[in-house]
Amino acid sequence: MSSDTLSLLMPLLSTFILLLVTYFIGSWLERRHFTSIREREAALRKFPVLTFETLPNTWHVASSDLVSGSVVISLDYFKRFVAALRSLVGGRIKTYEPLLDRARREAVLRMTEEAKMTGFDAVINVRLETSRLASSRRDGKGIAGVEMLAFGTGIRFAKPNAG
Amino acid sequence: MKFQPRAPREGINVSDEHPLKEFSVLVVGLAVAFALVAVVVVFFVDLAVPLIPAEAEAKALSSWIPDGLELKSGEEAEALQDLTRRLAAHWPDCPYQFRTGVFPSDDPNAMALPGGLILVSTALLKGIESENELAAVLGHEIGHFQQRDHLRLFGRGVVLQVLMAVTLGQGGGLTLGDYVSSLTLNSFGREQEIQADSFGLSLVQAEYGHVNGSWRFFDRLGAEDTRIDRLATYLATHPASADRSERLRRLAVEKGWSLEGPLTDWD
Repeated sequence: MSSDTLSLLMPLLSTFILLLVTYFIGSWLERRHFTSIREREAALRKFPVLTFETLPNTWHVASSDLVSGSVVISLDYFKRFVAALRSLVGGRIKTYEPLLDRARREAVLRMTEEAKMTGFDAVINVRLETSRLASSRRDGKGIAGVEMLAFGTGIRFAKPNAG
Repeated sequence: MKFQPRAPREGINVSDEHPLKEFSVLVVGLAVAFALVAVVVVFFVDLAVPLIPAEAEAKALSSWIPDGLELKSGEEAEALQDLTRRLAAHWPDCPYQFRTGVFPSDDPNAMALPGGLILVSTALLKGIESENELAAVLGHEIGHFQQRDHLRLFGRGVVLQVLMAVTLGQGGGLTLGDYVSSLTLNSFGREQEIQADSFGLSLVQAEYGHVNGSWRFFDRLGAEDTRIDRLATYLATHPASADRSERLRRLAVEKGWSLEGPLTDWD
């Protein structure tokens, strides 16, 4: 094959291989993460994580403190490629949805794990925050990943109280 | 109020569509849309080119050269320029002041660019055995100017590249864009190549009084063609070298041009 034809095909071929490899690695990691999330959620199922801003007046709290959990996740090449195509025509970027779902649930899980380890009985006033981490490439225009932060007030009951 | 422990509900925030499905719908859909736009662009450029007078083009672009290319001076460059002038002298009312240049490439190639610029690759110059062979190549490129193919192709290339930059500029698909536009830039249609060949050969006949040696270069290229290369030439719409030299020979016989004559040395 002439070197011109080859030089035209090479970038196309490398893009294709990169897409294929990142798709398989990316979805394998995603499946594994979801499995881990489900197991841990099931284990922490009985720990109350609530969004109340103020305590119900029947609750008697001995101590409270800030608890938080954060996670930083990055996009894989395949997801970014699909999203770039999607941005031409608009619509839901479906490949990003599981990514953000994982981030939200992981952040809440980490917060809950911290609360449980500290000895709290519940977390109230739970909030989620997200921020974008800019890429160092392309003048910081690209996205390196997002940080998902879950925080709330961990409380320890003064006496047994089921709420 | 009672606290009821439960696991988070799933399937609300995540679409259950398979990512590969989204990927293929987008890739196929955009490719079809892009092909449609490309066809429309090519159609309008072809309509517009005959409306631009050759004199105006030659004047406006008389000193234009592509980015990153330097026209070298020297003995070889002067000989190339001189040969082109001599051939072009046989084109009555030629509106172009031809300029020539050499670009580095491992493939024997030559191209016609707007404003009367003819570029020849280093590999082509290396493979030339007589001036007559080079004259056939240069005559062929002058033939493209005579039919204004260069402007048509260049116009398509520019418009498609602008389109590509607008649509894919910020995305990850730049390599795809480069691929398509360079493919468009490199290929003239088969019919256009044949026309350019016969005009070029008439210039060679007028200059030397015979067309001997004109197809020897293509003959040698044909001998080097591998099977994959043959497939590639079909795809690229460039006539395969062996077919080409055969066709040139037949044309010369038809026109009654002399097939025998002394070859002039090149360098």
